[in-house]
Amino acid sequence: MTTTTPVPTYDEDIYADEALLEPYEHYRRLRNLGPAVWLEKHGAYAVTRYADVRAVLADGDTFRSANGIALNEPANSAILGCTLASDGELHAHLRQVVAHRLTPRSLRPMKEQVTEAADALVAQLVQRGSFDAVADLARALPLSIVPDFIGWPQEGREHLLRWAGANFDSFGPVNERVEKALPQCGEMAAFGAEIVRTGNVLPGSLGASVLEARDRGEVTTEQTMMLMLDYLAPSLDTTISAVGSAIWLFGEHPDQWDRIREDPKLIPNAVNEVVRYESPISSFGRLVERDTEIDGVPVAAGSRVVVSYASANRDERKWADPEVFDVTRKDAVHQLGFGYGEHGCAGQALARMETESILTALARSVTRFELGTPERALNNLIRALGSLPVTVHTAG
Amino acid sequence: MRIAVDRRRCEGHGLCEGQAPEVFTLDDEGEVQSPFFEADLPGELTGPADRGVSACPVAALSLVG
Ligand code: HEM
Ligand code: SF4
Repeated sequence: MTTTTPVPTYDEDIYADEALLEPYEHYRRLRNLGPAVWLEKHGAYAVTRYADVRAVLADGDTFRSANGIALNEPANSAILGCTLASDGELHAHLRQVVAHRLTPRSLRPMKEQVTEAADALVAQLVQRGSFDAVADLARALPLSIVPDFIGWPQEGREHLLRWAGANFDSFGPVNERVEKALPQCGEMAAFGAEIVRTGNVLPGSLGASVLEARDRGEVTTEQTMMLMLDYLAPSLDTTISAVGSAIWLFGEHPDQWDRIREDPKLIPNAVNEVVRYESPISSFGRLVERDTEIDGVPVAAGSRVVVSYASANRDERKWADPEVFDVTRKDAVHQLGFGYGEHGCAGQALARMETESILTALARSVTRFELGTPERALNNLIRALGSLPVTVHTAG
Repeated sequence: MRIAVDRRRCEGHGLCEGQAPEVFTLDDEGEVQSPFFEADLPGELTGPADRGVSACPVAALSLVG
């Protein structure tokens, strides 16, 4: 095959521990190499510039999610058929079943409950003074709300976080993390399948509404089992990452916290800025359906593409001073941390509600976050802190 | 120029309204409404309209014509 444009290549392992700890310099080099860069270690093209990431996400006919999300076959087979890993008309149909209870309008009745839970949790932590912002705050709120909302039975809940982490690990290139993760993903799938078999979900929950859709014949039993994965996998770790990163960023940038305290109306924009600055999901993959070009770089049918939300969100071609954390950033709403287009995050209204409620509650009393030494939790796809000791100071 | 909306895709995230309340509003059902789905956009509103369109996280909106 002859190509006119030579395709730039990159030979570093961007899923190695050091790269996961310090990914942004890799992203910058990849962006500077070109619109699509061949990752020699991973057998895939990296798409890292904002405009290209957005264009790829907008073109689901060329860049397919079925067999495309993960960088390895076993993981792609394991999720084939859930909303995340389907395309076209089938995807639009499944998405309606999964997402209709997650729209802002459907979530309105949740608002009070989430606000109360956040207020109570924050009041208790402020009283304590010193706590772990990941274990005691970022994990505690979603765990107190999301499993009930989705309707999981009590037995098995203790595994949810481990399974969610394994799910995101499993999407990487074949490495030790993937090998450890795959059996746990099997456990998670078995849990989902068992729920569908027994109908053991809380009445009135999201899970129950998916089972009702099955009973009405809108989705098959087989499909229903896969749809449970759409709720199991992405509903906890992602939000936990965002909340943990938010506290870390506000601890490092007290001037930004002052802005929030002066004008809490900035909080929704601040959530966009947190998700831009520390994108919880670094990337997902796509499978190229037909020969195409990414900004002039030819990419053949059958190729894999790594679509980097995290890099797009730091692209100096798009953002003024991308390395600056600025809660007043005018175009923060353009961040791609929730994805974009037909697969754009179905749960973002819930994630925003949870994160905004926590920041709103904190802004009422906390003047400063004094940070201890943070520890990262390494995952092939999720960028998150595993622990963040913090002491909060209050005005009173 | 007008605005096209893909009703099946819109989930009422309301980020369009947040960017350009003079162009987009959400009704009580959480459905996006705009006079400019039917009528031509006046020149002074193309900037705000474009901001609203590009803020939609699920690409339900586009500028046409
Ligand atoms: C800060 C929190 C979150 C972030 C950063 C996030 C990020 C993402 C991203 C980047 C995608 C795009 C997938 C793609 O391009 O292929 C996605 C899809 C999805 N997310 Fe989230 N997510 C978050 C929270 C949630 C929550 C709380 C839920 C569920 C309750 C959820 C459910 C989903 C589902 C079902 C999809 C698949 C949508 C589809 O393929 O049509 N997410 N999310
Ligand atoms: S931003 Fe998009 S999804 Fe949200 S209301 Fe506007 S058109 Fe609908």
